[in-house]
Amino acid sequence: MKDLFVEIWESVRRNKMRTILSGFAVSWGIFMLIVLLGAGNGLMNSFLQGGSGFATNSVSVGGGWTSKPYDGLKAGRRIRLDDGDVAVTGGDLFAENVDQVSATVGTNATVNYGKKSINGYIDGVYPAAQEMEKRVLLAGRFINDKDIADSRKVVVIPESTAWSLLENGQDAKTLVGKHIKVGDLAFQVVGITKADRMRNSRDLYAPYTTVKTVYGMGQEVGSISFTTKGLDTEKANEEFEKQYKSVINLRHRAAPDDDRAIWVWNRAHQDVEMKQGRNILSTALWIIGLFTLLGGIVGVSNIMLITVKERTHEFGIRKAIGASPWEITKLIISESVTITAVFGYIGMFLGMVSCMILDKTVGQAKMSIMDDEIAMLVNPGVGLDVAIEATLVLIIAGTLAGFFPARKAARVRPIEALRAE
Amino acid sequence: MLIELKDVNKTYNNGQPLHVLKGINLSIDSGEFVSIMGASGSGKSTLLNILGILDNYDTGEYYIDGRLIKGLSERQAADYRNRMIGFIFQSFNLIGFKTAVENVELPLFYQGVSRSKRHALAMQYLDKLGLADWAGHYPNEMSGGQKQRVAIARALITQPKILLADEPTGALDSKTSEEVMQLLGQLNREDKVTIIVVTHESGVANCTNKIVHIKDGIIGQIEDNREHSASAFGINTTMK
Repeated sequence: MKDLFVEIWESVRRNKMRTILSGFAVSWGIFMLIVLLGAGNGLMNSFLQGGSGFATNSVSVGGGWTSKPYDGLKAGRRIRLDDGDVAVTGGDLFAENVDQVSATVGTNATVNYGKKSINGYIDGVYPAAQEMEKRVLLAGRFINDKDIADSRKVVVIPESTAWSLLENGQDAKTLVGKHIKVGDLAFQVVGITKADRMRNSRDLYAPYTTVKTVYGMGQEVGSISFTTKGLDTEKANEEFEKQYKSVINLRHRAAPDDDRAIWVWNRAHQDVEMKQGRNILSTALWIIGLFTLLGGIVGVSNIMLITVKERTHEFGIRKAIGASPWEITKLIISESVTITAVFGYIGMFLGMVSCMILDKTVGQAKMSIMDDEIAMLVNPGVGLDVAIEATLVLIIAGTLAGFFPARKAARVRPIEALRAE
Repeated sequence: MLIELKDVNKTYNNGQPLHVLKGINLSIDSGEFVSIMGASGSGKSTLLNILGILDNYDTGEYYIDGRLIKGLSERQAADYRNRMIGFIFQSFNLIGFKTAVENVELPLFYQGVSRSKRHALAMQYLDKLGLADWAGHYPNEMSGGQKQRVAIARALITQPKILLADEPTGALDSKTSEEVMQLLGQLNREDKVTIIVVTHESGVANCTNKIVHIKDGIIGQIEDNREHSASAFGINTTMK
């Protein structure tokens, strides 16, 4: 083994410039691969962080229209969710998979504050909605259990709604404790949540019970949301949805297998899509990176061909004194792998350093999308898995680069090789 | 017989077919010191290449120590060359970026001998040829005679059955040529090494005990030269 490295070192030492130039191409290829994948990861992380308006294990349910006749009723009937559905969802039947349950009921209302007036939408929610919808409080508090129990006239409003109620330049937080007029009634603002680019700026959150009583909605429920547990696979999610739909459908005298009677929006699926998107992005980046690397491989292969040509006479001597073709092949391929690996690792190291620099510079920059600030890159960089994969790629690339020159060297007959100069 | 050639033919087919060896029959016994002499184009180098398993022949049979050398794979041929044949070339053919001792070690490297063992053995052979002090030098730091002695040490280290020398003095001055030929004679006498020298110089051939004349691919006269009187310059003279 040591002898082999001595041989390689000798060969490289004699052709420093040439080795460095071709090695640079490999370094560059791997550098690009690592930086691309690192930046891609950063971008993906930023999407995941910025776009996660809901907990990924949350499910929303709403009423729909039946699409099949059932139990003597014809298709095309409107299904409205009611309190019974909320009770069933949170009941023993689904206790295994359902964690927290929240229901909403909402209606349009004119909202006034001072001279400003907007056409708002008041949403009756449960305290659990805060976690499910990932509402970030900027000031005050969210709707709590006592608000629900007492049907208090309080509201929590998103920053964006607050801005539409305030004069330009006023801080949204100043609204906490103030009273605003919703329809004919005065509600006290108890909290401000962070603006969400996925919602419009006319939402207000009030206790579920308050909205129900004030607007006389009886048993009717706008939508039900709940968080799930123990549903780890796509298949488990689908099973659960099917079962859930059949139970709720039957409560409303709709066919158990009617997909349209109620709609179920399970974010678990969105999560899967997100992961698929991530895979596609990363595959695309790998392909770009590998093609960049290909240039380097061709460079090394080229150098090895020249080396083989220059050393033909030497290989002739080696063959004359007993080197088998395999010994010669081994020499060329290991030289190629060594050059590729050493320069590849330099490129990988520099790539990782660049990812760190990216993190410290571009990673800190925020961009503003629809009033929502998100970082451009979050934790750019590659993991150990990519480093190992890249190492494998390098070894394969080096072998490939050395293979054809090595075969050429091994095939030259010793008598011809000895004649070469 | 150590070496037996029976009706060996060789034709080169580069454009115009060239029949180089036209039925060579030759036997060389163990311990002989033979020269193959002929003008350029006589086929002597081709014969040497076949003897050294560097080239193959078309028809006939070639035995080394009773073993038929024919249709070998490259790997097998390399192994036979390594174990049975030592080469000495006109242009020395040392590897330039390896020191004298590393050059001598190389055949043992291909036998898989351990580093320390082959180094010790190589030093022993260099010492035998009076080059122990030059072990760490590179070929370009040595004189022609020294280089050829390194090459001889490299050829001897595997204790081959045959030592093949292709114009061993071709690149040396007359004094050094004489020294090298005397060295070969000494190895033959004292260590019983079988040596075959290919040359076109009668002086070199005169140092050997048997001279095989080859002309136009056919072996002519085989001269017994134990008296070393074949040279035009008289008994025991070597040179050019």
